[in-house]
Amino acid sequence: MPEILQYAYMQRALFVGLLLSVIVACLGTVMVHKRLSMIGDALSHSSLAGVALGLLLGFNPIVGAMAVCIVAAFSIEIIRKKLGDHSELAVAIVMSTGIGLAGVMSGFVKSSADFNSFLFGSIVAISGFEARLVMILSAIVLVAFVLLYKELFYISFDEQAASISGVPVGAVNAIFTILTAVTVSIAARTVGALIVSSLLVVPVAAAMSIARSFRTTVLWAIFVSVFSTIGGLVLSFYMGLKPGGTIVLISVAFFLVFRVIALFRGTASSDAKKGA
Amino acid sequence: MKSGSFEEVSRFSRVSRVKRVVAGFLSVAFLSGAMGVLSGCKKRGFGKDAEGKVKVVASIYPMYDFVKRIGGDLVAVKMLVPAGTEPHSWEPSTRDMQDLEEADLFVYNGAGMEAWADDLLGTIQNKDLIAVEASKDVSLLKTEEVHHDAHEDEDHDDDHEDHDEEGHHHHGEYDPHVWLSPKNAEVEISAIADALIEKDPEHADTYRKNLEEAKKECEALDSAFEAELAPYKGGYIVVAHEAYGYLCKEYGIKQIGIEGVSADQEPDAARMREIIDMVREYGIKCIFFEELVDPKVAKSIADETGCKTMALSPLDGLTKEDIDSGRDYFSVMKDNLQALVDSFQ
Repeated sequence: MPEILQYAYMQRALFVGLLLSVIVACLGTVMVHKRLSMIGDALSHSSLAGVALGLLLGFNPIVGAMAVCIVAAFSIEIIRKKLGDHSELAVAIVMSTGIGLAGVMSGFVKSSADFNSFLFGSIVAISGFEARLVMILSAIVLVAFVLLYKELFYISFDEQAASISGVPVGAVNAIFTILTAVTVSIAARTVGALIVSSLLVVPVAAAMSIARSFRTTVLWAIFVSVFSTIGGLVLSFYMGLKPGGTIVLISVAFFLVFRVIALFRGTASSDAKKGA
Repeated sequence: MKSGSFEEVSRFSRVSRVKRVVAGFLSVAFLSGAMGVLSGCKKRGFGKDAEGKVKVVASIYPMYDFVKRIGGDLVAVKMLVPAGTEPHSWEPSTRDMQDLEEADLFVYNGAGMEAWADDLLGTIQNKDLIAVEASKDVSLLKTEEVHHDAHEDEDHDDDHEDHDEEGHHHHGEYDPHVWLSPKNAEVEISAIADALIEKDPEHADTYRKNLEEAKKECEALDSAFEAELAPYKGGYIVVAHEAYGYLCKEYGIKQIGIEGVSADQEPDAARMREIIDMVREYGIKCIFFEELVDPKVAKSIADETGCKTMALSPLDGLTKEDIDSGRDYFSVMKDNLQALVDSFQ
C-alpha cells in the first residue's frame, strides 16, 4: 500500500474530497449557467451568521449554518428575479448581509470563542460523523442530479423557454437551491469554505472552455474538480503545502491550460451553448 | 440589454408611496431596537462604582487576573478581550476606546500578544494614561518555525533565549505566552504592582502586601510544577498551538505544536503525518486541545493513533462560566499541571 493510504486521516480526506468534488462540480455547473458563480462565497459567509446564531441561541451551530444558508439561497433567488439584468447583485447583497449579521452577532457570543474554527473545516481533519454526512449528502445530490438532468439542462440555458415547454422550473430551482445551500454549509464545515466556493466555479469555467455540450461540460468539470482535489491532497502530503490553497490553484491551472487549448482550437467559451 | 436593465431597476424602485413610508418606519424601528439591544449589553465607561479607585483596562485574562490580585478593592478593572474570546482574532470596539479614555492604567502583556496595542495607544487622547507592558522584564523566547523537527531541539535550546533591549516587540518575533510559566507570571505581577504603586502611592503598602502574597503563590505553583513534572523530564506533549514554550523550557518537557504560535492556521497533510509519526515513535498517549478552538484536528490525530484528548488551557481567554465559578490563573494552572501529569501516565 502506498504511504499516502496508510494514514486514516488521508484515506478520509481522499474519500470525502472525491465525493465532494463530484457533487460540487455538478451543482457548480448549474449555478454557473444561472450566472450565480459567486453563490458559494455568499453562502459560506452567510453560514458564519448561522453559526453565530446557533451559538447565541444554544442550538447546534451546524444546524444554524444550514438553516441560514437555505434562507440565504432563497433570498438570492428572490432578489435575483426582481433585479433582472442586474441579478448578480443579489449574491453581493446576500453576502454583505451575511457578513454583517455574523459581525454584529459575534459581539454577543460570549461562551464560545473562535467561531471561525467552528465553522470552517479542514480537509485533513474530518471526523467520522462528517464523513457519513457527506456520504448521505452526495447520494442525495447525485440522485437528484441524474433524475432531473433533462430539466436542469433546459433551465440552465433558458428558464423562460423551459417553463413554456412544461418544465416545473420553480420546483427544480427550489430543489437545487436547497441542495446547494446544504452542500455549501456541510462542505464549508468539512473541508473549508475556500475549497467549496472555488470548486463550484473554477472547474466549470475550465470545462466550458473546451466542452461543446452541457453533458461534456458536466463531465469535464467533474474531471477537473476530482483531479484538483486528489492532486492537491497528494502535494500537501508529500510537499507540506496547505491543502485548501493547493487544490484551488491546481483547478486554476486546469482553467489556464484549457483556455490555451481553446485558443488553439479557435473556440470561445460561449461555444458550449451553441453546441448544445 | 442596457435599456431593459434600467426599466427593471426603476420598476423595482417604483413602490407606492404608502409602502415606502411604512418601510421607512419599519427600518427606523428596527434600527433603534437594534441600537437598544447593543447598548444594553455592555456597561458604558467605568461608572459610579469606580469612583475613587484606580481605573485599569487590562488587555487579556491573565493581565486582568494579575491586576485584581494586586489591586483588590482599590482598583476597578475592565478586560478588553471579552471572556472566552481568542485574543489573536479580536478587535476593539468604540466602547473599548471610551474605557481607555477614562482609564488610569492600561495593562497589556506585550511581546506581540496584542498586535493591536500600538494602534490602540496611538489613537487614544488620554494624556494621563500609563501603559504597562507586563512582559518587559521577562527574557523572551524567539518563536520557532512550526515545521521544526522535535529531534533537533535538544542542542540549540539556548539560541532561542533572547533578552529584548528595545522593549518593543513585533508580533510573531517572540513567543508572547510568557505567563504560562509561574516564574514569568511573578515577573509580570511585579511589573503591574510597580505601576499601581506609582499611580496610587497612597495605598502602596496594600499593593506591596498583595504582591508578597502573589509571589508566594507563584513560588508554590512553581515548586508544584517542578516536583510533579520531574519524573517526566524530556517527555513530549502534543498541543493545539505552540503556546507552552516557556512552561516547557522551565520544566524540561518538549512541545509538539499541531499549529504554530498563533492559533489560526490550518495544518497541512504532511504536518499531520509528521505529528502522527512522532506520536507513535515517542509513545505519546494524549493530544491536548484548547477549549476556545475547535478540537477537530486533535480528535483526528487521536482517532488515528488511539490517544486520548484532554484540554490544556493557554489561559489567553477564560470562558465567562469559568470566571463566574471562581476560577483564576492559579486554579487553571493547577488543572493544567494535573492534565500534564495525566498525559504522561
